[in-house]
Amino acid sequence: MVQFYLEDERITEFVAHLMNRHPVYAPHRKGEKSFSFERTENAADVVLDYPRTMHSVKKFFLPPREELLSFDLEENDFQTADIPTSAAVFLGVHSYDLAAVGRLDYNFTVGSPERNYLTRRQDAVFIGVSFEPDAYHFSGSVGIRPEDSTGCDIFLTRLFDGYVLEVLTPKGQELLEGLDLPAHDAGKPVTGHFQQHIFVPQAKLGEIMERSYDNAVWEETAEKCVGCGTCNLVCPTCYCFNVEENVDITVTKGSRERHWDGCMLRKFSEVAGGEVFRESLASRQRHRVFRKFKYISDQTGQPWCVGCGRCTAYCTAGISIVSIVNRLIGDYERAAVAPV
Amino acid sequence: MNLSELKTPAELEDLYQPVMAQIKEVKRLSAMETYYRVELPGGEELGHVPGQFVELSIFGVGEAPFSVSSSPTLKGSFELGVRRAGMLTDVLLRQQPGTKIGIRGPFGNGIDVEKFKGKDVLIVAGGIGLVPMRSMINYVIDNRDQFGKLIICYGSKTDQDLLFTDELSRWEKDPSIDYRVTVDQGSGSWQGNTGVITTLIPGLDLDLPNTVCCICGPPVMYRFVLLSLKSKGLADENIYMSLERRMKCGVGKCGHCQINHSYVCQDGPVYHYPDIKSLQEAL
Repeated sequence: MVQFYLEDERITEFVAHLMNRHPVYAPHRKGEKSFSFERTENAADVVLDYPRTMHSVKKFFLPPREELLSFDLEENDFQTADIPTSAAVFLGVHSYDLAAVGRLDYNFTVGSPERNYLTRRQDAVFIGVSFEPDAYHFSGSVGIRPEDSTGCDIFLTRLFDGYVLEVLTPKGQELLEGLDLPAHDAGKPVTGHFQQHIFVPQAKLGEIMERSYDNAVWEETAEKCVGCGTCNLVCPTCYCFNVEENVDITVTKGSRERHWDGCMLRKFSEVAGGEVFRESLASRQRHRVFRKFKYISDQTGQPWCVGCGRCTAYCTAGISIVSIVNRLIGDYERAAVAPV
Repeated sequence: MNLSELKTPAELEDLYQPVMAQIKEVKRLSAMETYYRVELPGGEELGHVPGQFVELSIFGVGEAPFSVSSSPTLKGSFELGVRRAGMLTDVLLRQQPGTKIGIRGPFGNGIDVEKFKGKDVLIVAGGIGLVPMRSMINYVIDNRDQFGKLIICYGSKTDQDLLFTDELSRWEKDPSIDYRVTVDQGSGSWQGNTGVITTLIPGLDLDLPNTVCCICGPPVMYRFVLLSLKSKGLADENIYMSLERRMKCGVGKCGHCQINHSYVCQDGPVYHYPDIKSLQEAL
């Protein structure tokens, strides 16, 4: 593995070098505390030291709204949508968001591989960056460390006054051509410690979830939950969508679009005639948490929660997925030691 | 998951692209339900099995899943029975023969007819549940020598809501079919059984080990029909059921049709009862 030293003073030069080769998407500051992955037009806008963006890079591969086809109402005919590829560099991605892309890759290839997602996804180049866990990150509990470079072409680890830049793939090597960086011979620093933890080995989570279907925590969480679906929208592994028609003001043409949907919304499970199969907020909370820790995990052996902390950080009602899961673990363990 | 092992995305099929099929025939079945016969371009076969569904769309209005009502033995076109339940079905109701509509599919896991061959076939259909079950009923009728007895239990809200009434009279007269019908509430002229569908089950003459059953009806019906069949002595292994959920994409992606871990558009809509007995959200 080749390691270089990228000092803070040269980051803008590094970003500009990337921008000369490919479109670059990176975290930009949006407000005092908010960050967002945006197309970089000005190299100085890139912020590599950030806690989390509100949305992950998912939005580039599964856009919030995407045209599936366009139609002509007078001809009663349609044209399929032209899906662009993303020959772009995604710079400054945290390990949990890269892990989430891996989960989405699974969801969009299993069964019927989906052209739309895979076309947007196929040419993406990732430059990861280590992060300092804040009050919400808990990815360490689901096996994703801040310095984990899985899926990256280049990875940056924070040093005091710059970054260790590791080249991990030929694509990454190619990106650096023409950029003269000094080699880094010393080791890498140990990254920060998590403040949030799920207190159980992952292997045991399946069994705990299995016994948690009727736990009181679902009703208790529902007392606070307002069913707004924010947790679904900010989750980097939520991929559910709805499809609807948009008709132009002339009523002669329009498009069929999909948009992000969420299982916390009441209408999500509604069928024609008005039956709602997950009517209570408690049943929806359980479904959300089971989708992250049980249903797909039973099939793949991996948690579908990557520990980014977004659903908790952005919850309008202060609900914490870590608290829910720890409560389930606690109740399971108390039941296990309770006298029969 | 290694993306490089996949076909290049450009070679992948567009999962959301419909074919433009043509409505060939429209008939009112009842106040709320309408029959459509639909032909794919060039008269191509849909290639479905009983119990599968299609996604039907009208541009500018929307797309939704509908059970195929015809048996695969009907060639050249397929049939739907549609209840008026929203904007798409309202607009569909105004369409005349000749209109082109979008069709994707067939989707889902239908009835494995091999599991029914050589057996007595019991169909329990409530209300609009007759629409998908009619596909299996007509399949059995068209392949009569491959199946044992055909027993049909059909329940409806009122006698005015009975669907496919011409076929119902044929089934009633057919000596090879044990056809039983009940309505929750009969009009003045109704001479038949009155009561919910479970009232038909105790009187059935079943060769238990040799009977395979398929159930389809409104959500509230399954639990009670299962109880009746259980007290009749029918084993869980002999029971299949078709479930309704919101199969929006049909290809296991959009998430709307999940029952616990199971995607109804992939594992269902027809399930073997032992496979979903433990799924709390199923029934």
